[in-house]
Amino acid sequence: MIGLDTVATPVGLLIGIVCGLIPLAAGIHYKQYRAGIAGFIACALTGFGCGLIGGLPMIVLTYAVVLSYAYVNRQDPFTSRAALTEVDFSETRVESIQRVLANIGTGIRRSFRALTRNKAGFLGFLGIAFFILVTTFGPLFIPYEGEAQMDRRQPGSRVLVAPPSWEHPLGLDWKGRDVLSHMVHGGQRLIITSIQAGLIATALAVVLGSAAGLLGGPIDTVISAVANFILTIPGFPLLIVLAAVVDFDSDFMLAVLFGVLNWPTLMRAVRAQVLSLRERDYVQAAFVLDLGLWHIISREVFPNMVSYITVNLIFTIRIAMYSIVGLTFLGMVPLRDPDWAVMIFTGRQQGVIFLPQAAGMLLSPIIAIALFQLSLVLFARSLEEIFNPRLRSGV
Amino acid sequence: MTPVIELRGVNRTFIKDRKPIPVLQDINLGIEENEIICLVGESGCGKTTTGKIISGLLQPSSGEMLFRGRPISSYDRKEQAVIRRQLQLVHQDPFASLNPAHTIGDILGFPLKRHRMVDGISGVRRRIWELLTMVDLTPPGDIVNKYPHQLSGGQRQRVSIARSLTVNPKLIVADEAVSMVDVSIRISLLKMLHELRERLGLTIVFITHDLALAKYFAWEGRIAVMYLGRIVEIGRTQDVIASPAHPYTRALLAAVPEADPDLTRHKQVLRLRSDDIPSLSDIPPGCAFHPRCPFHVPGLCDGVVPALGDGPGFSQQVACLPLQQGIPLVVNQTSTQNAGQHV
Repeated sequence: MIGLDTVATPVGLLIGIVCGLIPLAAGIHYKQYRAGIAGFIACALTGFGCGLIGGLPMIVLTYAVVLSYAYVNRQDPFTSRAALTEVDFSETRVESIQRVLANIGTGIRRSFRALTRNKAGFLGFLGIAFFILVTTFGPLFIPYEGEAQMDRRQPGSRVLVAPPSWEHPLGLDWKGRDVLSHMVHGGQRLIITSIQAGLIATALAVVLGSAAGLLGGPIDTVISAVANFILTIPGFPLLIVLAAVVDFDSDFMLAVLFGVLNWPTLMRAVRAQVLSLRERDYVQAAFVLDLGLWHIISREVFPNMVSYITVNLIFTIRIAMYSIVGLTFLGMVPLRDPDWAVMIFTGRQQGVIFLPQAAGMLLSPIIAIALFQLSLVLFARSLEEIFNPRLRSGV
Repeated sequence: MTPVIELRGVNRTFIKDRKPIPVLQDINLGIEENEIICLVGESGCGKTTTGKIISGLLQPSSGEMLFRGRPISSYDRKEQAVIRRQLQLVHQDPFASLNPAHTIGDILGFPLKRHRMVDGISGVRRRIWELLTMVDLTPPGDIVNKYPHQLSGGQRQRVSIARSLTVNPKLIVADEAVSMVDVSIRISLLKMLHELRERLGLTIVFITHDLALAKYFAWEGRIAVMYLGRIVEIGRTQDVIASPAHPYTRALLAAVPEADPDLTRHKQVLRLRSDDIPSLSDIPPGCAFHPRCPFHVPGLCDGVVPALGDGPGFSQQVACLPLQQGIPLVVNQTSTQNAGQHV
C-alpha cells in the first residue's frame, strides 16, 4: 500500500511511460496493436499513480496479456488434437517462459471477461475505479484550498457556507473553501486506511483460521478461545475506548487496531472451511501421493477458499471504512484536513447542519462514502465469478 | 515368493463416544505381485479401512504391515516415502476425488513435478499425454485444459486412475472404483484396469460390495470375503464362486440376481435368521455371524472366535468351526424363526 500514497508526480508519469513501452513494443512485434496500446495506457496510469511499485508489476501483467493474444496463433502442442506420436514437446527456456506468461495473460483476460459479464459487478468495478482515479489524479487539476477564504462571503450573509454554483460545483464550506477541492484531496487517505484495515483483519483471519483448522489440538483451542473472547466484546465501543487511549501517530496504527479487533468472525469461517476441506478425497489423494503439507495448504485447500475470502475481504473493507468514519465523526481520532470524514465532523461541530445552504458541504462526503460502499458491494458479486472455476462458463 | 504386501495380525479401532470400536480384527492377508484380489463384504465390514491401511492413509492400531517381507517401520524414512508412493489409492467418488480448482493437466502435473518422475517441463507435458492416452482419454489435448466439472463421471475416474499412475505404483487399491460410474461404462473401466495390470505389472486390490462384479473382475485372482471386521473366507475366485464354504458367502451368492429367469426360478433361497447386521460396538461372542447363520450349532459357534483354516472338501480357507470340524451344515430348525430351505 506504500506505493499508493504517492500522489501523481511527473516522475511517476515518466516511469509509467517507460514501463508502457515494453507492452507497446510487444504489441507491435506480435501485430497485436490494440492490446499493445491498452497495455501502454495501463502501465502509464499505474506508473503515474504509484511510481515503480505500480509500474513494474503492470509490465508483467500487460506483457502477459499481449502474449496471450499472440499465442493463440502459435498452437501449443499440449492442447493440440494430434496423437501422442506426432507431437514434439521440446521447447527452449524462453519459449517455456513465454508460454507460462501467455497462460497468465489468458487468465487475466478470462477474469476480465467474467468481470464484464456481470453487469452489476462491472458497475461496482467502474465505481471503485472512478473514486481511485479521482482521488489519485484529481489533485493534478484541482488545487487544494487550505486557508479560509473570507472574501467569498455573500453580501448580506452571516456565514461563509454557500450552495453549489458555477464556480464551485459542490459549494463552499464553513471557511469559504471549495468543497470539490476537499472531496478530491480528502478521499485517498480514508480509502487506503480502510483497505489496509481490511487486509490486516483478513490476513490475520486466514493465517489463524488455517492454523487452527489444520494443526488442531491445543493451538486450535487457544486461537478459538481468543476469538470467542474478542467476539463477546462489542466491537465499536471498544474501538472508541481504545482509540481514545491509544495515541495515533499514523493511520496505519488505526488500521492495525481495526484488524486486531475484527479477525475472529472470518477466522471461524475459515477454520470451518479448512476442517471440511481437509477431509475431502482430493486432499487424501494428495497425502497418498506424498505431495507435502505446503502443497496441500496452498494448492489443494486455499484455492477452494479464495473466492470466499476475497468476498469477505471486500466486506471487511466496507466495515472498516464505516468504523473509521464513525470514529472521526465522534472526534475520537486526530483530525486532519482534508478528509471526507473530517468534513462531516466539522459540519456537525460548526452547526452548519441546520443551514440549508450547507447541503453541498455535508452531503458531498456522505454521498461519496455511500457510493463507494455500494461499488464495493456490487464488485463483490463479480469477484465470486472470477475466482470460482465453476461459475466461469465457456472456454 | 514373498508377497508385495502382507498384513499380519492387523487390528484397527476407532474411538466413538469414548468407547473403542473394533473396525478391523486380526486381519492376515498376503498380496502377491501382479495379482488381483477382491475384498467383498457389506458396508461397515472394514473393507475400506483395510484399503486405507494398505495405502498408508491409516495406521493399524496393532499388528504390522510388511513390504516385500520386511515390516514397513524397518525401512528408513526415505525408503518409507518411496514405498508409500508405490501403494496408491483410487477413490470411490470421482466427483470428490479431483480438486475442482485445477485443470486436469495441473492435477497430473503436480506429482510428476514434485517427485521429479521425468526431466524438465517438456518431459512432464509428454508424460501427462502418455498417461491420458494410457487411460483411453484421447485426444489428450482436449482434456488437459479442462476442469474436473467439465468431464463426465467415467472420464473423471479415468483421470483419477491416471493420477495414481503418475508415481509408478506397484499396487493400486481401487476402493469401489466403479460403483459410482454408469453401468454402461463400468465394463470398459474394468477392462482398462486389467490391461494396465498386465502392461505395468500392477497389483490390484479391488474393494467392492458387489459379488457379481468381483466375480467378473477377479476371475483369475482371489476373493476375500469380510464380515464385521474379519476375513471369513479367502481363496481363488473360481473356487469361492463354484463352491462357497462360509454360510455368509453362500448368502451373498444366493442374493446375486441372475439375468436368466429359469435360473432365478429354481434358485435356492437362503433365509438368514435375521437381516440386521450387529453393531460394531456390540459384536456377538464367538463367530460374529452366528446370530444370523441358519446353520449355527449352539454351543460351538457362540463360544470361540473361529480362525481362518482349511475345511475338508474346500480348497479355500474359511473361518467356520463346523466346517473345519467336518460337521455337515444343516438348517438349525430349533432356533430358526422363518423356515429356510436346505442349501
